[in-house]
Amino acid sequence: MFRCVLTAAALVLFAGSTSVHAQKQQTIGAPPEASNMKLVGTNDLQARSAYQPTIHHQGDRWIAYIGHHGGTDDVPMPVNPLTGKAEPNGTSIVDVTDPAHPKYLRHLPGQEGKYESGGAQMVRVCDGKTLPKGDPNAVYMLRTFGSEAHEIWNVADPANPALITRIGGLKDTHKSWWECDTGIAYLVSGAPDWRTRRMTQIYDLSDPAHPQKIRDFGLPGQEPGSTGAVPTELHGPISTGPNGNRVYFGYGTNKGGILQIVDREKLLTGPKEPTPDNLRFPEIARLPMSAFNGAHTTFPMLDMPVAEFGEDKDGKTRDIVMIVDEAILNECGEARQMVWFADVTTETRPMMISSYTVPEASGQFCQRGGRFGSHSSNESMAPVYYKKMAFIAFFNAGVRALDIRDPYHPKEVGYFIPAITNATDKRCIPVEGGERCKVAIQTNNVETDERGYIYIVDRANTGLHILELTGPARAVAGLPKN
Amino acid sequence: MRRAAIIAAAVIALGASGVGAYQLAPEPAATSAHWRELAWPFPRDGWPAGRAFRCEGGACDGAELYVRAKRGFCNCDSGVADDDEVDRVADVDLITPRFTPVAPGEVVHVGEMRGRVRRYDLAIHDGASHAAVGVALSRRCDLFVAAAQGRGDASAMQHAALAFLETQEMTAWVVAALDGK
Repeated sequence: MFRCVLTAAALVLFAGSTSVHAQKQQTIGAPPEASNMKLVGTNDLQARSAYQPTIHHQGDRWIAYIGHHGGTDDVPMPVNPLTGKAEPNGTSIVDVTDPAHPKYLRHLPGQEGKYESGGAQMVRVCDGKTLPKGDPNAVYMLRTFGSEAHEIWNVADPANPALITRIGGLKDTHKSWWECDTGIAYLVSGAPDWRTRRMTQIYDLSDPAHPQKIRDFGLPGQEPGSTGAVPTELHGPISTGPNGNRVYFGYGTNKGGILQIVDREKLLTGPKEPTPDNLRFPEIARLPMSAFNGAHTTFPMLDMPVAEFGEDKDGKTRDIVMIVDEAILNECGEARQMVWFADVTTETRPMMISSYTVPEASGQFCQRGGRFGSHSSNESMAPVYYKKMAFIAFFNAGVRALDIRDPYHPKEVGYFIPAITNATDKRCIPVEGGERCKVAIQTNNVETDERGYIYIVDRANTGLHILELTGPARAVAGLPKN
Repeated sequence: MRRAAIIAAAVIALGASGVGAYQLAPEPAATSAHWRELAWPFPRDGWPAGRAFRCEGGACDGAELYVRAKRGFCNCDSGVADDDEVDRVADVDLITPRFTPVAPGEVVHVGEMRGRVRRYDLAIHDGASHAAVGVALSRRCDLFVAAAQGRGDASAMQHAALAFLETQEMTAWVVAALDGK
């Protein structure tokens, strides 16, 4: 009878665990999960782990340039079917003119190495005719080359890029920003003599063939020769150019985040020697975040009319910065990384006004495997979505579409979680005596184009998904019904 | 007997679902002879608290040692790359943000982990000189860090701290902490 008791207990346990398990994990062949967003087209990106997508209107074509992390332990160098060769992950170039049938044009190999230690994660694109001293027939792609260099390629013929220049000798790189109308580039670099892996090297790339260094920049305490505590490293800046005259720097990944608001003119023309005083000179304000959160993306949306304040005598419009943290650990092994909205209208007194996260219980995301939390937002300022909607890459919760017209009360109006495929890579956590792995979507980045298509890419090798809004979400952006 | 089976199943099922679950209180830490465990002395920051110890007797008498796991670290392949990395991550800044390295660091191994150790002078204005040692070790994408401070000989403090980290009880705890236990 004692055996019966044990059997009964084991059955109860087994039944409980399998039913929960079945609800949580994605399976190959299951449909995507979606609300007010639908799939238009896909490309597998040669099963390479994807980071930043940039969509560029090039003549009568639309081209997606997609950066990749390094390879994986299992597949350090995936085979490129176009060449038949194993190539270290670099940049995928995809013709998305017909978003229902994306055409893979070229894989441009990056630095050898796995995960964060290789690849070519970041990419920005400017037309030569827009850059002050560019070749008007050229289209320039600025990309990172692993941790060691920044490169500029002429991608006027996107299937046959030509290397123009290289800025090397670095110990790391990350998410740079390039002003196409001035050529000023804020390159996230690891200058060898700085005490941090990531700071800013500012270059004049108005003539991409002849880069001119302007200065190095970072937080006091990061500069060469300093001592004591080292402030949080840079993740990436976004500039509003000469008209807005501001650069918004985001420091931190999943901890100790800082939003730094900088006067662009003072940054470019002020004293350049990296002393603590000179580094402080262009700073207008800082917004230190909780130690629990970092600042991956600091996306400015200035002069936003807020309907709720429409009858107020003052403060009808607000300057807003959307701050997106990056989740790092699998299966909720850290504090929640999410989205924050800061009102920076009074620049020296920036204040956090609202936040957004995917409700964990809506998909039992902590149990699905891989990372759950935010990573990045779209960075396009094209009118179709700017100051109306934001799209957030949320790892195993896919992409989330937010109505941000009232940034004091952001609302989710749609989402899309792609189905996993045979290419989707596992994500593991340590357990007693080894590892336990699960397979889940890891939507890493999102970008939009001027037509309103939404491009999401996957860190776990599931490729590119091109989406469009449906139903009420289209009305938020003022798009016609489909 | 049937009722006993139902009760047993219910108890196990409730336990598995978390209802009525409880955690065993950790047993008092059995530390080695010279290091007595203290309460973690620092305010909450981005990383969960670690453990703190004070050296009693011997060459490190009076020194304090702070250790903790930092899970989630981007340099999964390259590990602790250089001395700047030790300055950034080793928790010496918890003691004081004003510290100055006295010499280049050196490679160190603790158990199966590899990293770097570096010595510092601390700017603490109490009329006495304070030395510190920062240790940063990596395991895959995670870090284990230690910082020691004291008024005695920095070399003796470093030696004693590293020897303590090598003890079986500490290496077992480090593995568990890095596993998120």
